[in-house]
Formats: sequence, structure tokens, C-alpha cells
Amino acid sequence: MPITVENVSYTYGKGTPFEKKALDNVSFEIQDGDFIALIGHTGSGKSTLIQLFNGLLKPDSGKVFVNGTDITSEKVNMKDIRSTVGVVFQYPEYQLFEETVYKDIAYGPSNLGKTEEEIKEIISEILPLVGLEEDVLTKSPFELSGGQKRRVAIAGVLAMRPKILVLDEPTAGLDPAGRKDILSCVKKLHDRNNTTVVLVSHSMEDVANTVDKILVISDGKLLNFDTVANVFKSSEELKNIGLNVPQVTRVVNHLKQKGVFLEGDIYTVEAAIESIKEYIRRKNDA
Amino acid sequence: MLKDITLGQYFPLDSCIHKLDPRVKILLTLFYIILIFFVHSVSGYLLVGFFTLFLIFLSKVPLKVVIKSVKPLLIIIFITAFINLFFTGGEKVVFSWKFIKITENGIINAVSMALRLVFLVMGSSLLTYTTSPILLTDGIERLLSPFSKIGLPSHELAMMMTIALRFIPTLLEETEKIIMAQKSRGADFESGNLLKRAKALVPVLVPLFISSFRRADELATAMECRCYRGGKGRTSLRQLKINSADVLSIVIFAIFCAVLVLINVYNIRIMGY
Repeated sequence: MPITVENVSYTYGKGTPFEKKALDNVSFEIQDGDFIALIGHTGSGKSTLIQLFNGLLKPDSGKVFVNGTDITSEKVNMKDIRSTVGVVFQYPEYQLFEETVYKDIAYGPSNLGKTEEEIKEIISEILPLVGLEEDVLTKSPFELSGGQKRRVAIAGVLAMRPKILVLDEPTAGLDPAGRKDILSCVKKLHDRNNTTVVLVSHSMEDVANTVDKILVISDGKLLNFDTVANVFKSSEELKNIGLNVPQVTRVVNHLKQKGVFLEGDIYTVEAAIESIKEYIRRKNDA
Repeated sequence: MLKDITLGQYFPLDSCIHKLDPRVKILLTLFYIILIFFVHSVSGYLLVGFFTLFLIFLSKVPLKVVIKSVKPLLIIIFITAFINLFFTGGEKVVFSWKFIKITENGIINAVSMALRLVFLVMGSSLLTYTTSPILLTDGIERLLSPFSKIGLPSHELAMMMTIALRFIPTLLEETEKIIMAQKSRGADFESGNLLKRAKALVPVLVPLFISSFRRADELATAMECRCYRGGKGRTSLRQLKINSADVLSIVIFAIFCAVLVLINVYNIRIMGY
């Protein structure tokens, strides 16, 4: 299920003093099974872009294709699109509303017309995936902890069995353990079901640890769409738009300036450790 | 969709109306609203109409925006007009069918009620378009301060209003976000009968209530942390001052009032209405 975005522009509040161009002639293509991070400074148009993916917003000009279907056209069946492209918004726990966790997760699939049995099956399949126990199902979502609420909300979107999953900062406001859990759950989903994942993130460390490719936008324009290694190579360019490379890459770059040359493209701590070991081994040999 | 609700939204422009003292603007708007209900004739409505247009022109707020502010109240205006149309008694019956009877008085009442409401909304919207919420509540607080001697908590009232106004856009934004999230989960707000649509709103309203309570709680804590103790001994950052432009606007308004009173006293009518 590829997503193709063609020459898309979008402006908020047209004709008012608050007019703001959020997207400016953006084009790119996401392939099946891609694991992509969408990065950009606050207000760069990330959130606008992901709302285009499932037809919540219609672009002022340009087209968005999901699996070959033009979702900007009037005739398209919105429920199909919403079940194909699952969007988890920022702080999704604020959208919980049902009496029990079970009912809340069931909201999406029942909107799609799934039967009670199907829903039950889906939920028992999804719960372990997001790391929740069976006994939370009967609890009220409001008595859970922050991290658990977030997982319930994500499960609510996963229950629609999307082929493409878009997550807007799923780890915002969580503690390090919670962040790690959510990210590994997303990664598991991608690896197991070959789900296409688009991850909006502000944490370059998270991005470096999980995704394959990075989409960089700045001021509503597409700046770069490349592999993690290639994007993090241009650290100056990222700095200019208010972003940065992972901390460990910065350390490695500093080391390079001091004359310590580490091998390879390093943007995770693990890679850095390996490279440093290698460096010490070479030094000892010499 | 929700962004179309413009009632009570500041329109930041640089015009002479924007610069007026908020107290003057509030009082004049109040008088304007009271005056509207004393208008009985076509000539009077024409005068009010022209005066309102003149004010909108001076304020530089696009006419389209002001007209849009009437839109959310159209239903109320229609219901009022409808009730007046059918339930006003009178001698001259214009139309009757079975138990329905429309009298000339009914038509006059319906039209004038609708016009009054439209002017009322336009006038009061103009106040909120041209006055930032903070200035507005500053003005209200100062206007009400003489009453604090008889126990009216003017500062608290003004603070409540400031907070309410401050949170309108926030809550609208929040509502929009929740709607988006539920739509992403396949929610359908646009089809089905009335009951179905009302039910579809539950997934929006419950999270909205919860987040409003959360926000209220957080705000109260934040205010207490900064030692908020009500209005006692509190001075304001902006000292309001009446200047020549304010006096001029009062004079212009007084002339407008005088002409309206003259129209009423001498019963100046156009084609008998």
C-alpha cells in the first residue's frame, strides 16, 4: 500500500489575518513496508501532512494517492481510507471516552461494521502486541497510568487493522522506559505484519534507533527524503532548520575533529560502542 | 468547520475603533443594544443599519466576517421570527388557513425582531472583534469596580470572564483535535438521523469534558502557585485613559441617539411603516 503525495499545498485560515501556509508543493512516495520517520521543527507542517494521509484534510492543490486511490476526490469512501491508514495523534489518551478499555478499543472496529466475535478476536490479538494484560479490559480507561492509557489509545487505532500506521509523537511525555516500550511495540508491528509505519518524532535518538528512512520538512517544504545514514550526514543542514543529529553522532563528530577517526556511519550508541572497540583494537595493533 | 465560529474572537487590526478605550466601547455597545429595542420604524432601522455599516467600515473588519458572526445565531433568529409571525394577534389578517393566522402586526413584529437580533449580534461582535479579550475584561472590571462597595466581586467576575474568553479558542482547537482523532477511528458525524448524530457526539464530548476539568484544575494550581489572592490590592499593568478620540466617539454616538429619538418622537415613517 504505497502512499503517493503529489505537489500538495495547504494553507490554514485562507483570507483571514491568521493565514498560514502549512505545506508548499510537497511531493514524495512511501513504499510498502517502509519504516519512515517524519522530522521537522515545531510548526513545520508535520501534523498537517499526516492529516492528509487519511483524508482528514483535503489539500488546496495537489493529490494524495493511497494504494492508487486518489483520496482527494469527492467520491472516495472515507471509512475505507480510515481503516487502511490508521493515524495515532499526539497525546492519543485524550481521545479515550468509553466506560471500559474493551469498549474503547472496540470503537474503531465497530464503526467499520465488524461483528462482536471479530472484535473480540482482534482485541485478544492486539493486547499482547501493545503490552497490555487481559485484566485491563474491564477497567475504566481513566484509572490507568499515563503509559497504559497511551497503549490503550494506540490499540484503539491498531484494532482497525491498518496497513499503514501513522504515529504523531507517540512517545511524547512518557518516561524513558515507556518510550522504549512504545517504540519497540511499533517496531514489532512493522517487522511482524510488514505494516508501513510513519513516525513523527522530535527525538533523533528514537529515530536513529528505529526507522529506515527519514523525511525532513521545514517551513512546509520537503527538504530531504533519504536513508537515516544520508540524512544524518548533513548535520549542518539539520541544524539550520532547528533540528540536530543524534547526540552520539555529535560526540563522534567532535572526536573526528580531535583526530579520533571512528569507522562507519554512527548514529546509535550500539554502533558507537562497536566502532570505539574497533578503534582501540586497531590502535593496540599498531 | 468549527473555525467558522467567530463570535467573540478578536480581529487584530489597526483602526480608530480598535484604539478606543474599552470602557467607552462597552458602554456605547450597551446603549446601542438598548436603543435597538426602541426602534419601531423603517426609517429607524435604516438609520441603525447605516450607522452599523459606518462603524464596521471604520473598524476595517471585513464586512464578510461581521456577517458571518450572525450565522451561528440564525436558528434562534428564525425561531424568534417564526413565533412572532404566528402568535401575534391583531386586527388586519393577511393570511389565514385553518388554525394558522398571520396578521400584519405579526409580520411587522417578526421582521423587526429578526432585524433587532441581527443588529444586536453585529454590534456586540464588533465590540469583541475590535477589543482584545484582556482589554475587554479590564474595561468590565473598571466599569464594575464602583459596585464592589456593595459587595459585587468585580475583580473575580472579570477574572472569570478573562479565563472563559481565553479558553474559547483552546477548547475549539481541542474539540477539533478530538473530532479528527475519532474520525480517524471511523466515526461518522455527518450521516444518520438526529438520534444517531447526537450519539456520535458522545466520543467527542466525554474527552472534551475531561480535558476541561483537567485544564481548570491545572490552571487553579498554577494561579495558586503564583499567590493569586483575588482582587484585593491588585493593580493593573495598563492604566486606562479617556482621550479625545473617546470623547469624539461619545459625541457621535450621542448625535446618533438624538436622531433616533427624533425619529421616534416625530414618528417619521416611510410609506406608513
